[in-house]
Amino acid sequence: MDFELSEEQRAIAEAVAALLAKHAGWERAAALAREGACDFALERALADAGFLDAATSGEAGLLEAALVVEAVAHAAGAVAAGAAALAVPAALGRALPGPVALADLAQPGPVRFAADARTLLLLDGAAARALTLEPGDVPRLETPYGYPMGRIPVSLAAAGHDLGPGAGARLRDAWRAALAVELAGTMRGALETTLGYLKQRRQFGRPLASFQAVQHRLAACSVQVEAARWLAFETAARRAPAEGAALAAAYAAGAARRLFAETHQLSGAIGYTREHPLHVFSMRLQALRLELGGAAEHARAAAAARWGRA
Amino acid sequence: MEFDWSPEDAAFRSALAAFLEEALPPDWDERAQDGPGSAQQAAFARDFCPALAARGFLTPHWPAAFGGRDASPWQHAILGEELWSRGEPRGPQYMNVNWIGPALLEYGSEAQRAEHLPRIARGDVFWCQGFSEPDAGSDLLALRTLAVRDGADYVVNGSKLWTSYANHADFCFLLARSDPASRRQRGLTVLLAPMDLPGIEVREVPSVVGERYFHEVAFRDVRVPEAARLGPEGEGWAVVAYALQYERVGAPRYARAARTLDRLAERLASAGPLDGETLARLGEARALCEAGRVLSYRVVDRRARGEPPSADTNVARVAGTFAEQWVADLALELGGCEGLEAGSFADAQFRMAMTAGVAVGATEVQLDLIASRFLGLPRE
Repeated sequence: MDFELSEEQRAIAEAVAALLAKHAGWERAAALAREGACDFALERALADAGFLDAATSGEAGLLEAALVVEAVAHAAGAVAAGAAALAVPAALGRALPGPVALADLAQPGPVRFAADARTLLLLDGAAARALTLEPGDVPRLETPYGYPMGRIPVSLAAAGHDLGPGAGARLRDAWRAALAVELAGTMRGALETTLGYLKQRRQFGRPLASFQAVQHRLAACSVQVEAARWLAFETAARRAPAEGAALAAAYAAGAARRLFAETHQLSGAIGYTREHPLHVFSMRLQALRLELGGAAEHARAAAAARWGRA
Repeated sequence: MEFDWSPEDAAFRSALAAFLEEALPPDWDERAQDGPGSAQQAAFARDFCPALAARGFLTPHWPAAFGGRDASPWQHAILGEELWSRGEPRGPQYMNVNWIGPALLEYGSEAQRAEHLPRIARGDVFWCQGFSEPDAGSDLLALRTLAVRDGADYVVNGSKLWTSYANHADFCFLLARSDPASRRQRGLTVLLAPMDLPGIEVREVPSVVGERYFHEVAFRDVRVPEAARLGPEGEGWAVVAYALQYERVGAPRYARAARTLDRLAERLASAGPLDGETLARLGEARALCEAGRVLSYRVVDRRARGEPPSADTNVARVAGTFAEQWVADLALELGGCEGLEAGSFADAQFRMAMTAGVAVGATEVQLDLIASRFLGLPRE
């Protein structure tokens, strides 16, 4: 047990932070989101620097990949880092040509990064399939929820090559771990934005953050963000076991629901505008917290793993 | 950063679990339902703690010179998880090893260490905590109990309230005002007061939480020898602040809640297959327990690397409290009206959890501390 970064981990964290400071950030994310675009420049920069194959390059592991994914989410990067760096290596032990999008056929609707993906992974119950996409295979759709999204055409639902027995469960667990990490980083962004704003925003002659009624809510949010982050890192480090990954995802998705409500309520009207950073994080939280069936489905999976579906 | 148990710590946990499996009676879960302060649990602890001590399971995290073996703070945490989650077979003695011992190690004179530490390490002494008062609850620094120097003694007058285990205790870890003119954290002193001194009177405060859960301890002209003062006169707040850092995560509420949840799931499953809605609610509750666990581990991690205590303790406390209350509510809701009978499974869980948000500083006090120390927000 050790909650502090090792020297190698610190080096990774600092290097990815430096890269993200140059190539990401909320204003860039807001501009890309308006066009529903994927940030290919950022993806290339991350890939060139080796951050997207941290888990498969041999020197690092899934925890290091999780550090990268959390940092990308915290910087509002519009890239499918969770799938590429964490979910796919954890499930398959190798990388796939990116961007990689993940779709659960049991959850119809828009799929993050599907319109830009080169590889589409399809969860079909206990089975999982992979297919290579050509540009235009998956139509882009409009969404206010912060990520580029596409809708999988019915014609593709049965396509692709089967990834073998057990792949569905493995992919589901790994995806949940990646979701937990992305939720954690995005929530950290939302909370930091809100904290920063409330410290400087004055009403009634004093900063809003000096009111105890506000402080208690921020403090309660910070407890949830901290817990979500550590649970996500822990489950990634443990290679996304079924119960642990589902619990981390259930916790993070539940916390995201409350974080959205609290950060917006506390930020007031400015929080709804595109001139303020909050929406970049908060709207993404809604997209993330619905994936794979959302908090209730993660919780059900965790309970089934622990206590059995009698 | 890594999240694996060291081989030593993993071996410690399995040895402890194996010992408990064999040492606890088959009906232990039912016997433990009235809480660590109940008469039968305290009576059980009188034999059980010496047995733990004999196996090296009572104070492994203490220095070897005082009956321990310098085990890591992680083993201290494992002890707490395994024992508290089973309803605390150490009875009130969990406090001895969690925070009274460490406070004595940090602040005790040689004579005090020689007097108290071996008894704690052997498992044959009970303590209670004399902090809260009728007019000093969440605002502990409003306390007014006086301990005024008179020759070689302190003369104590005042009243302590909510004192669990006072009916069993041999000693009271007493915080009092040694300077009657002082205010707030100045002028406080800690006394290690024997409970059999003349002038100490213990009265039960009946409550719905459980039998003999709360007490009022009245001190009338109680003469406590100067030799029983822990740390310098007037520096009692530093001693208590040190002890509180251990106390707030000393009883791992998340672990008890998680075990309660296991037992609840087992009971529900024995009546028929768990439906999707029930599974979702059980899983949701377990995720909250996990949050309490990982945040408590963060506190232990800092302790293990010798860092000073931080607001991580308050963060962990809030999450642990929330988990315990959530699970207790769930036990009532999923069990239905059966839980209304005194001593039923859900009733026991519910009443054990109902003090969680108030004990050791109300949740609102924890949130205040998180806001100021963790988030750096200005005081109102």
